[in-house]
Amino acid sequence: MAYSEKVIDHYENPRNVGSMDKNDPSVATGMVGAPACGDVMKLQLKISDDGIIEDAKFKTYGCGSAIASSSLVTEWVKGKSIEEAGEIKNTAIAEELALPPVKIHCSILAEDAIKAAIEDYRSKQS
Amino acid sequence: MNYFDLFSLPHSFELDLAQLSAAFQTLQKTAHPDKFAHASSQEQMLAVQKSATINDAYQTLKNPLKRAEYMLQQRGTDMPSEQASFQDTMFLMRQMELHEMLEELPHADDIDGAVNEANEVLDSEYQTLFCQLQQLIQDNNQASDKIACEIVRKLKFYQKLQLELERIEEQLFDD
Repeated sequence: MAYSEKVIDHYENPRNVGSMDKNDPSVATGMVGAPACGDVMKLQLKISDDGIIEDAKFKTYGCGSAIASSSLVTEWVKGKSIEEAGEIKNTAIAEELALPPVKIHCSILAEDAIKAAIEDYRSKQS
Repeated sequence: MNYFDLFSLPHSFELDLAQLSAAFQTLQKTAHPDKFAHASSQEQMLAVQKSATINDAYQTLKNPLKRAEYMLQQRGTDMPSEQASFQDTMFLMRQMELHEMLEELPHADDIDGAVNEANEVLDSEYQTLFCQLQQLIQDNNQASDKIACEIVRKLKFYQKLQLELERIEEQLFDD
């Protein structure tokens, strides 16, 4: 199966790889995994007091599509409010990266990672 | 037909693989397409179908995780979709650490030692979960079956790590 150019680009030059301090109250951490393929994805967002995502980092162990999906998401969420980020749909990720049907679950994983991070942030705030 | 009944085996998670393999071979002979070379096309088609079922049953029972999933399914357990993402944060953090451990292997001072240690760590964590799975499947109630499903999903992550370690070992030691 051939990867699209965009997937290859994100795979070869992943954006925003790294980690933040998960104990920092302004850092939201979303951890998700896909049992079917064993992929593990960590998405971290640095959120300002007024709810804007200032920075995003990811670390993903998985196939090229999973890495590309999380890399793309870190680019998309920066500058967005957490509400806007929570509206990012896997279909948009899949479309942007031209993922084939068998790799759609990678985009679902990335969407779930955003949701998990937002949930983590809300639980930290309450 | 239940796969265990197909091979006349007890409905038990603990399985004698030699017995399974013998039962499979005996049964597969009865459905071998060569035996139906002169039979009607309908009989030939049935034989092909039977042969396929026997194969599916064998592949399912032979693999412990597939066997566990099959047994849980047969009990009517609500299995999470293969595609559904997994969100046990503590477990996934550990998975990240294990991936990082594997990633570091080629840079270790004592590569042989580090590879052995990685194998031991993965085996021991897999075995701990696998023993829990055995007990839960034996317990055979709704609550235990539900936890068993979660454990099967966790074990799949370990299978992936083991494959990854094998791949790294091949790269390190093949040249």
